[in-house]
Amino acid sequence: MRTIVEARQVKKLFGSKGSVSTALQEIDLTVLEGEFVGIMGPSGSGKSTLLHLIAAIDEPTAGSIHIDGSNLHTMNEEQISKFRRDKLGFLFQDYNLLDTLTVKENILLPLALAKVPVAELELRVEEITDKFGIKPLLAKYPYQLSGGQKQRTAASRAIIARPSLILADEPTGALDSKSATDLLESLKELNEQDQATLLMVTHDAFAASYCSRVLFIKDGTIFTELVKGQTPRKAFFRKILDVLSVLGGGAGDVI
Amino acid sequence: MTLFSTAVKNMKGNFRNYLIYFVSMMFSVVIYHTFVSLQYSTDVQASIALSKNVEVTFKTASFVLILFVFIFIWYSNSFFTRKRKKEVALYSLLGVRKRSIGKMLFYENLIISTIVLAAGILIGTLLSKMFGMLLLKLLGTTAEIGFHVSGSAILNTTLVFAVIILITSIQGYRLIYRFKLIDLFQADKQAESVPKASPLLALLAAILLATGYVFISLSFDSESDLMRNYGVAFVGITLGTYLLFRCLTVFLLRLAQKNKARYYRGLNVVGTSQLLFRMRGNVGTLTIIALLSAFTLLATDIAFSQYYTNTKHAEQTSPFSYMHLSQGQAFDEQVNRIIAADSKHAVTAAIDIPVIKSSGRTSSSVVFPERYSEEEDKPVKIISTTTYGVIAKALHLERAVNPAAGEAVAVKTMYTDYSLSDYKKEKLTLELPTRSWELSFSDLLEDRILSWSFPDFVIVICDDLYGDLKDLSSEVLYKAYKVEGESSTAETATELMLLDGAEKAGLTSYYHEYKTGLEDTGIGTFVAVFLGLVFLAATGSILYFKQLTEAHSDKERYTILRKIGVTRKEIRASILKQSLFIFGLPLLLGITHSIVVVNAMSKLFSNLVDVNFTVPVLFSTALYVMIYLFYYILTVTSFNKIVND
Repeated sequence: MRTIVEARQVKKLFGSKGSVSTALQEIDLTVLEGEFVGIMGPSGSGKSTLLHLIAAIDEPTAGSIHIDGSNLHTMNEEQISKFRRDKLGFLFQDYNLLDTLTVKENILLPLALAKVPVAELELRVEEITDKFGIKPLLAKYPYQLSGGQKQRTAASRAIIARPSLILADEPTGALDSKSATDLLESLKELNEQDQATLLMVTHDAFAASYCSRVLFIKDGTIFTELVKGQTPRKAFFRKILDVLSVLGGGAGDVI
Repeated sequence: MTLFSTAVKNMKGNFRNYLIYFVSMMFSVVIYHTFVSLQYSTDVQASIALSKNVEVTFKTASFVLILFVFIFIWYSNSFFTRKRKKEVALYSLLGVRKRSIGKMLFYENLIISTIVLAAGILIGTLLSKMFGMLLLKLLGTTAEIGFHVSGSAILNTTLVFAVIILITSIQGYRLIYRFKLIDLFQADKQAESVPKASPLLALLAAILLATGYVFISLSFDSESDLMRNYGVAFVGITLGTYLLFRCLTVFLLRLAQKNKARYYRGLNVVGTSQLLFRMRGNVGTLTIIALLSAFTLLATDIAFSQYYTNTKHAEQTSPFSYMHLSQGQAFDEQVNRIIAADSKHAVTAAIDIPVIKSSGRTSSSVVFPERYSEEEDKPVKIISTTTYGVIAKALHLERAVNPAAGEAVAVKTMYTDYSLSDYKKEKLTLELPTRSWELSFSDLLEDRILSWSFPDFVIVICDDLYGDLKDLSSEVLYKAYKVEGESSTAETATELMLLDGAEKAGLTSYYHEYKTGLEDTGIGTFVAVFLGLVFLAATGSILYFKQLTEAHSDKERYTILRKIGVTRKEIRASILKQSLFIFGLPLLLGITHSIVVVNAMSKLFSNLVDVNFTVPVLFSTALYVMIYLFYYILTVTSFNKIVND
């Protein structure tokens, strides 16, 4: 199976001389094609930093990251943008939809950037919005949508260009429980049916229980790892809670 | 910390943001001060020899300038105050009373304006000599202007701007009371609605503009007709421009959205939508900028074209250096003596031109209007072929004429653009006391051979016919001189004009025609160019601020785009395109308006008929576009810095 993410000895320091704080210390991470990996940890543990490094939004102080075979370190600004566009899909807590574009235009943006012919583009939009159940909303503007609808729009945008890796940063953070469940179900379906590779940072044990593997980070190092295997989701959820209670600090803001 | 020191601190912090505004405002103070200084300058007044329009022109220009500056400052001020809603809200939350906040803004505006005013007057005074010299150069005078600090000019500028500053400062103070705390926090959250394209209104815009254009080109018989035409045209063009921005732009952008292959390609989808959302808020500004551009270009075009064509105009009005009707030996010799005594301007030709004056009419009175016959003087001036030969030799004209009996060669009437075919359609009847002759036109001379006087109708006929006419009618004798360097014969020309009987002799000089024209059109050009520059600076800075405000609220959108993998280069290209739309449309419309109107006016107004517009219009339009381009580049650079770093 293909390796999608390969991070070796990744280290990240913040601040300048005199007051350096370590966000990540020598982390190794491998994500294979078709995996749905969750990253959990208390606030300040470095989980968002790790996501930013993988998304090439930030650069590591030391170590190397390869995504789908390309080394992020050797790429220049332009290449990184192209890389993000071609290989990555993003899902953010605050949706990051463009309010001047309709739902349809928001979704097709990555394809437009990749200069995909109109006929194929329309087809893909059709296909994806069908999957996420937002087809009737295509002509609407983001301010006319509910939170759940917005996040499903964002999810459609994230996957429409068929990226090698979908990065989700607290995607359920701003959603009510019904919308959150709907979204997670959709992501799981995507993972299982389309073999999409997902990496999701979350606070929420319930969200993490949809993953096939969950990494726990504490103080910039990997604390432990849980693999779902054949465990039913509810049992996996309880296992995650157990780890969190050991992890400490994080448990308070789980539920 | 006092309110005053807070105000000073705020200004220091905001200085960079307001720099363009300061510069534009200071520029208008400099120009106003220059206009006033030139009005008061004794040096300038002494150097202007003939024109009587100087003071009126400068006073009108100053008035227009004040009116404009007032609106500009008022607009900018309320714009800035609104931009600082959040800051005001913060003070309110901290428990500062509105009265105090208002006072603070009042102080700020007062301090800024005072500094700008002082700096403007200082620079204006320092540059007044340069501007004065520039004006005199335009007027073709070489006199030196000394450096003067004009107390009355400074007082005038200070008073006028003090009033403007006070009124706008009070307005800033009052604006605070209209804000509600809750509005302040919601200022940026108001959802902008997408404007709809109304084909009906777009059609109306096109109709209004077409009506305006048609009415500006209609010929007129009376002043009231003219006023009506121009009134209709003004309303049509103004409303049409507004509706055009309101609808046609939306229509065009919607059309762009329909072309999916283009629209769904790269950042076009983002750029087009942004523009569409923003259109409603920009309509007013774009209309004003388009109209001001049109007005500026129009004024500059006309003034500059007349200035540019002045030499040709003077040559046509007064083809000889000096010319007068013979008044008997004593007077004629006196004139001859004065001209011969001017050693710097050697006489190259001194000729006698016998002319028969006759009554007459033409078959359909197009080239020979009926009002010619209503004049006391006999309207048709007749010259023989031989005399024409003498004139042609003196003036170095290449054209030879050879009318047969029964034919007349017409000299083109000034301020008309009739061609030979217009003349050929008519028959001229010369009515002498005892007999009349019917002549047909065989040729048309473009070059003028006699000084202009009303009625201006000159023909050349064959010597035989001239002889026949001479027996039946009396002849008058013109004395004409051609000298070297005729545009600098100030002393001689003036001395001749002051002679007893000069007026009765209809004495004309090339110098007077040339100089009067040069001064009138030179001052016009000077004023039009500088007023235009102020308009341009002000409107440019308004566009700049509008765009930058949008940049600040767009910042988040561009961050999102960066995150999903849009390169900086692509964002830059999209900004260039969007700003081009905003900057380009009013410019394009302004240029179109000005060219249409100039074109129409050049056909309608007799004093513009002979004016060469091509070169001056190209020149002033190119200059305008260049300065405008500067604002565009400045805006795009700042915009890019805000959203793309």
